Amino acid sequence: MAALLDVRDLGIAFPAPNGMVKVVDRVSWRLDAGQTLGIVGESGSGKSLTGLALLRLLPATARLDPASRIRYRDSDLLDLSEADMRSRRGSGLAMIFQEPMASLHPLLTVGRQVVESIRRHTDCSNGEARLKAAALFDEAGLPDPGRIGRRYPHELSGGQQQRVMIAMALAGSPDILVADEPTTALDTTVQAQILDLLRSLQAMRGLAMVFISHDLAVVTSMAHKIMVLRSGQVVESGSTGAVLSAPESAYTQGLVAARRRLGVRTQATVPSRVMEPECALELRDLCVDYPGRGPFAQPVRAVERASLTLSAGRALGLVGESGSGKSTIGKAIVGLARPTSGELTLFGRPLADDGWRLSRSMRRRCQIVLQNPYGALNPRLTIEQALIEPFVTLGLNPPNGRRSRIVAGLEEVGLDAGFLDRFPHQLSGGQRQRVCIARALMSEPGLLICDEIVSALDASIQFQVLDLLNRMRAARGLALLFIGHDLEVIRYIADDIAVMHRGTIVERACADDVLDAPQHPHSRALIAAMPRLDDAAPSEPDDGWRAQHRSA
Amino acid sequence: MVTLLATVLIHIARAALLVFGVTVLVFILVRAIPGDAVDVLAIEGGLTESQAEAMRAGLGLTASWLDQFTAWCLGALRGELGESLRFHVPVADLLLQAIPVTLALGAASLATGFVLAVAVALIATLRPRSMVASLVDILNIWSIAIPTFCAGLVAILVFSLWLGWLPVLGNFLVPVIILGLDAAGQIVKPLHEEMKELGTAVYIRTARAKGLHPLKIVVGHILPAAAPVLLAMTGLVAASFIGGALTMEVLFGLPGVGSLAFNAVNGRDYPLIQAVVLFLAVAVILINALTDLAQRLVDPRPEG
Repeated sequence: MAALLDVRDLGIAFPAPNGMVKVVDRVSWRLDAGQTLGIVGESGSGKSLTGLALLRLLPATARLDPASRIRYRDSDLLDLSEADMRSRRGSGLAMIFQEPMASLHPLLTVGRQVVESIRRHTDCSNGEARLKAAALFDEAGLPDPGRIGRRYPHELSGGQQQRVMIAMALAGSPDILVADEPTTALDTTVQAQILDLLRSLQAMRGLAMVFISHDLAVVTSMAHKIMVLRSGQVVESGSTGAVLSAPESAYTQGLVAARRRLGVRTQATVPSRVMEPECALELRDLCVDYPGRGPFAQPVRAVERASLTLSAGRALGLVGESGSGKSTIGKAIVGLARPTSGELTLFGRPLADDGWRLSRSMRRRCQIVLQNPYGALNPRLTIEQALIEPFVTLGLNPPNGRRSRIVAGLEEVGLDAGFLDRFPHQLSGGQRQRVCIARALMSEPGLLICDEIVSALDASIQFQVLDLLNRMRAARGLALLFIGHDLEVIRYIADDIAVMHRGTIVERACADDVLDAPQHPHSRALIAAMPRLDDAAPSEPDDGWRAQHRSA
Repeated sequence: MVTLLATVLIHIARAALLVFGVTVLVFILVRAIPGDAVDVLAIEGGLTESQAEAMRAGLGLTASWLDQFTAWCLGALRGELGESLRFHVPVADLLLQAIPVTLALGAASLATGFVLAVAVALIATLRPRSMVASLVDILNIWSIAIPTFCAGLVAILVFSLWLGWLPVLGNFLVPVIILGLDAAGQIVKPLHEEMKELGTAVYIRTARAKGLHPLKIVVGHILPAAAPVLLAMTGLVAASFIGGALTMEVLFGLPGVGSLAFNAVNGRDYPLIQAVVLFLAVAVILINALTDLAQRLVDPRPEG
């Protein structure tokens, strides 16, 4: 039987100063009806471009290798006229993207955006299309499907936005759904719900799916077949079970091992030279309010009576969904958000005494690293200029001179002096994040707040960063407040875990206790939603199932 | 953050302060110009020194500036803008006759420029390599390089004097075309830049993934997203037309606010100048407020 989609020798290149740079190189695969192909790879592996190429939505500068073939049903998509290709977008192949907020038009109601898609592919009146949109919203699991269409994207949560995207993709009853990192921007619990939705839609509609992700665990829970991409080339492909149990290439073995290793906690060696470690951070009944929006709005309580302690050399993981207030706590500690009431003590000094502002010496001791390394470095400053800033603003003069301290700091994070003259755009995401960490460590702080610092990084780089922090902890007695939503990462680094839910800390205990025997229902939900490699891969749909759906 | 009511009150207070400031400034500036209304009349009508002094006293020009200003302010607050020193009719009447002319000229020119700018920006976004796409820069450079009065003089020379197609005075069509081109040139460039930029937005890729026709994407997705920029530019041009059509009105003999201001300054007609400036200040503030409101209506997202 001919495959539904047959991709042969797909090659994509971009023009560069010295010739073309191949980003996808002779990639071939087949996809049958009702099947899911998982494409796994780190950033820069060409996995997203492979997905975009299927709908011929590549950036204008991209060049396709003339030998490329994408056969869908009876035609080669690459031979079609633009008008013929348009008629297949949305009805033959549909796509959902990584950032649901950015993927929806911000100034149009979501109903209008879905209705437009329905009317593009079916001949019906506006009223009929609205009814169909409501049915699709219902199918996508959105609340109040009859009326949610009147909302604008910013009025919906991230998960709801992605459900709207899914409803929109289904509007033209496609055969193939291309999902490019559809859950990467979402919380773990929401991710689990969206993955469930995609699985059930696939079963109900007999959809074929191309599921693209950097997260091996997520892909294995979705895909029948897996293809591993690295630098634009296929390093491994096969059924999910086979690839997981017996990866052939060293690269895939590394990916699998990296993911399994995350599941195991390393016991960081807490420095024992201090019998009674200094208390770096103490919160008592801390409350933080944000001003409300609109007329007569009440302030919104972001953090409600949070209490925590963190000693030197320890790592505390602060977990929770987005909006649970975990980042606000981090901001309050470094003086970026003003607490409403409660106590916040840094190295024995109550912050309220200084009007909730950190003195210069306190700023030296408390540093923060933020989630997005792309936004945290000034694009016009070289790495050297960025790293000198802490010395300038804090008025520090290290004994051997600033430059030697900077070089030493770069080496600590695994970069060499060759990076000093480069600009941020010449660095990869992982390298940038390591520069940000090096910058935060320049003033030799006693407390480092890490706000989702590894979620933008690939798995292999996550380790380098986490191991680096563990070394700093052992060597200098650095206290870490590690804010994140990825429990595997937290398990890897944290001694203790505090779980936040809607502004309150609902559970706080040592890491193993929280992860293995969670007490609070919300902690249990968080842990249950965690994607795991051991999740049974979906079984091949048997022919009876397929026949049944074809006749339906 | 302050509540909506407080925001509105702050805006109104700020606007009132601005109007007051402009009034004070103009009050001082017009009196700083050498010669007053009586000097102008004296030259025109041959008054003697003593006649002129008597006239000054009669018109209240001998009082101190502070007294004159207080008197004018108190009048203005009651809605009385005084009497023209030259025409001896209430300035409010003069203003009410002139405003419709200026509004008609401004609205017609703005509509022409708006439609032209949107059409050119749309086609240029859809067909970046077409002839129309080069119109974006041609219109923009035209509006920057050629002052409207220059284009007006050339138009009078060519169409009225050489070809004899149009009357020199009271002609409405030529100033509307000239001002319309000027408006289009100012609006089209930022609008087109914004639309080009938006063409690479992730949600526009979503629209393409739906299989929509490029025309539908440009009209239904890119143009609405560019609406805030379009409105901002249109508001700026509209504000400039309220007073900026002065040269066009004078050149083509249209009896609008611009002509009124021109005559008032020439005759040192203080009450009339002050009334015109008061109108301009209030009009500009109103246009800015309307632009803000329109932008809030097209973009449902909360600020910040």
